[in-house]
Amino acid sequence: MAERLKPVNVVTVGVGMTGAIMGKELAAAGLKVVGIERGPARDTVPNFQSPAIHDELRFAIRKALMQDNVKETVTVRNSSDQTALPMRRWIGFLPGTGLGGALVHWNGQTYRFQPADFIYKTHLEERYGRNFIDAELTVQDWGVSYDELEPHYDRFEYLCGTSGKAGNLKGRIQPGGNPFEGPRSREYPTPPMKEPYYGALFRKGAERLGYHPFPQPASTLSQPYTNPEGLTLQQCVFCGFCERFACEHFAKASPQTIVLPAALKNPNYELRTNCQVLRVNLDSTGKTATGVTYADAAGQEFEQPADIVLITAYALNNVRLLLNSGIGKPYDPSTAEGVVGRNYAYQTVSSATIFYDTDVKVNPFMASGASGTVIDDFSGDNFDHGPHKFIGGAYVGAIMTGGRPIEFHPTPPGTPAWGLGWKEAVARHYNHTVVLTVHGASHPSRRNYLDLDPTYKDAWGLPLLRMTFDFPDNDIRMSSYVTEKAAEIGRAMGGKIVAAAPRRGPYTTTAYQTTHNTGGAVMGNDPKTSVLNRYLQSWDVSNVFVVGASAFAHNATYNPTNTVGALTYWALDAIKNRYLKSPGPLVNT
Amino acid sequence: MTRISRLDAVGAIVGIAVFCLGSSASVSAQGKRTADAGHGAEIAAQGTAGVPACAQCHAFSGASDSSGAFPRIGGQSAYYLEKQIRDFASSERANAIMSPIAKALSADDIADVAEYYANNTGQFPPLATADAATYEKGQQLARVGDAAKGIQACNNCHGPDGAGIPPAVPYLAGQYAQYIVFEMQMWKRGFRKSSPGSMALIAKQLDDQQIAAVAAYYQQVRGSSASVISK
Repeated sequence: MAERLKPVNVVTVGVGMTGAIMGKELAAAGLKVVGIERGPARDTVPNFQSPAIHDELRFAIRKALMQDNVKETVTVRNSSDQTALPMRRWIGFLPGTGLGGALVHWNGQTYRFQPADFIYKTHLEERYGRNFIDAELTVQDWGVSYDELEPHYDRFEYLCGTSGKAGNLKGRIQPGGNPFEGPRSREYPTPPMKEPYYGALFRKGAERLGYHPFPQPASTLSQPYTNPEGLTLQQCVFCGFCERFACEHFAKASPQTIVLPAALKNPNYELRTNCQVLRVNLDSTGKTATGVTYADAAGQEFEQPADIVLITAYALNNVRLLLNSGIGKPYDPSTAEGVVGRNYAYQTVSSATIFYDTDVKVNPFMASGASGTVIDDFSGDNFDHGPHKFIGGAYVGAIMTGGRPIEFHPTPPGTPAWGLGWKEAVARHYNHTVVLTVHGASHPSRRNYLDLDPTYKDAWGLPLLRMTFDFPDNDIRMSSYVTEKAAEIGRAMGGKIVAAAPRRGPYTTTAYQTTHNTGGAVMGNDPKTSVLNRYLQSWDVSNVFVVGASAFAHNATYNPTNTVGALTYWALDAIKNRYLKSPGPLVNT
Repeated sequence: MTRISRLDAVGAIVGIAVFCLGSSASVSAQGKRTADAGHGAEIAAQGTAGVPACAQCHAFSGASDSSGAFPRIGGQSAYYLEKQIRDFASSERANAIMSPIAKALSADDIADVAEYYANNTGQFPPLATADAATYEKGQQLARVGDAAKGIQACNNCHGPDGAGIPPAVPYLAGQYAQYIVFEMQMWKRGFRKSSPGSMALIAKQLDDQQIAAVAAYYQQVRGSSASVISK
């Protein structure tokens, strides 16, 4: 029997980026907050220090910072007629765990979504007509506008100290920035990172073709910066160990460097690590949450009563917790009814690899996870899709993240896959290759969804999440088009061989693509097509808010973190200024 | 393999930084002229017009002397030594003795003398060891950092036990404690303007006891990995 603990005002399920920010803010507002984190506590000093943190085998290959999939994993299949099998090793995507969550091991790429993304369906139908979008795609509006989110984007970027160059300040296009972006209220908190050589090569090639290169916005900082929480971040040293690693230099925005110390200083805030939340408890009406039940590291179960439950775990785990707690109606693909698990989307990532002669020395290891140069010319709806018969786009850029020795082995097409020929090709090309990333949107389809697996259970006996996903044909067409554009840039960059690798189906989890799993608990204005209202509040249980990329109605062109940050502050604003004054649904159905 | 990549990486970063900042270094980056270590040795031994012999203070081997007033320079990377001399000339590192000397050296002289000392390592003079508590305190800062102050381990950049990550980051292993203390104070008080984003920030957070401890540690920790890696 679970031991019942003293009630608190707020519990956050997970203490990663969203949980840490919300916990800090609500504790500061005078509420008693408990942050429950399933993984261990850890900090820059002593846990992330070099040389141990640069152990590529331990962190990049054996995934030491990721969710323990012996205890808890995801089952995957491509379509409803298949039997899903559990992922026993993380390869295709890498859910983090532990204090600070995935923001400990991220790359720091910090994009805003486009204004059109938030009114996606309305925008596309206005521009291209009602029958333009493939019938299988369940594209919809988000229920919030870019202008509403702008102050919250701004706040998150200033929390992180993001390094970049604005391209649009209050509607005025700025030289050197991204001319396609939505208007910003002010400049980035810190100037862009230095341009690596691969970025400079890309810039030349892209400019030659008339595109608009700009430095990728990076939360691996170009200079020391003290954020509004009074925490000082330091300058990135381009060590090349961001993605899959933690930053030893206080140079990457992670909860540990941007917000957690401020939360932990507040006596209203309590952190519990190594505690696995099993379910959100509901009262007899099913319309109010009474708290959560969790198991500590020894397996002992506790019931933590709370007035407000904030589900702030990784997107996939947010959806799973809703399903395991019976909050919201699960999506049924056969009837297309129900909402939890609906509009799951991924990211359509592809590449073009440019092989140079040996006189071009790229030095790919001198990088941060976010240093590099990109173009936005083919992102989202920045170009006319009319002739192309698909929606969405991709940014293209030279954003190599470190050229680490175990993972980075560029070889041109036709190279043997192993043996002496392969080794010679790797040695020949390692330092003379630029990889262009084509980072594309992912659209929700009726066929793709998340639900509970009927067979497989986790270490606590609860059903695993089942993912049913394959790339919609629209996204394959998009990838094919933009990847060819990337190859053209590669040729303009002076590459001797350019190998384009557009995304092709079927989706497989055996090659890393991205960890940008989104949707499944989406926000919106219609309870028939969304789990949450526009304030990320559950339509069904009004004292539950679900914060994360799980709220995305579709996944736009860009890396999701900045939009998750903006939504976090957006939801906080509604909780602090409206919900606390008058608890209950913030939007009437 | 990892180590070699990382060493190259830091050098390349600096190369890029210089590439972005100005033209003088891009000449050497393109490798138009090969430095002449023989000519550098001559400058070290007997000086050149307006420049006294480097060996007077730094010894012909680069080991300097046990007074600690002068840094050990033998075996630091040529890139690093060259940059320091340029910084003295530009007063990025203002120094009453080194700045006039640096200004009197031509660009080629600087490259040559840096090349010479980069390829020499002298003996370590027999120095008294620090007390165990100080050594341990210094070692902890070097290896782990200071959680309360949010200071990362020195070795993150300066390599395992201060072996250096050439060409950009100097070794500290075997460096004279007095010199390390002096330079940390230069950063703390704003006289040394190089590395404002890292070293100045860190120096300002460290108190005098911490600086003394970490300096004593590095003076003593020479050996093992240091001599192997600093090349």
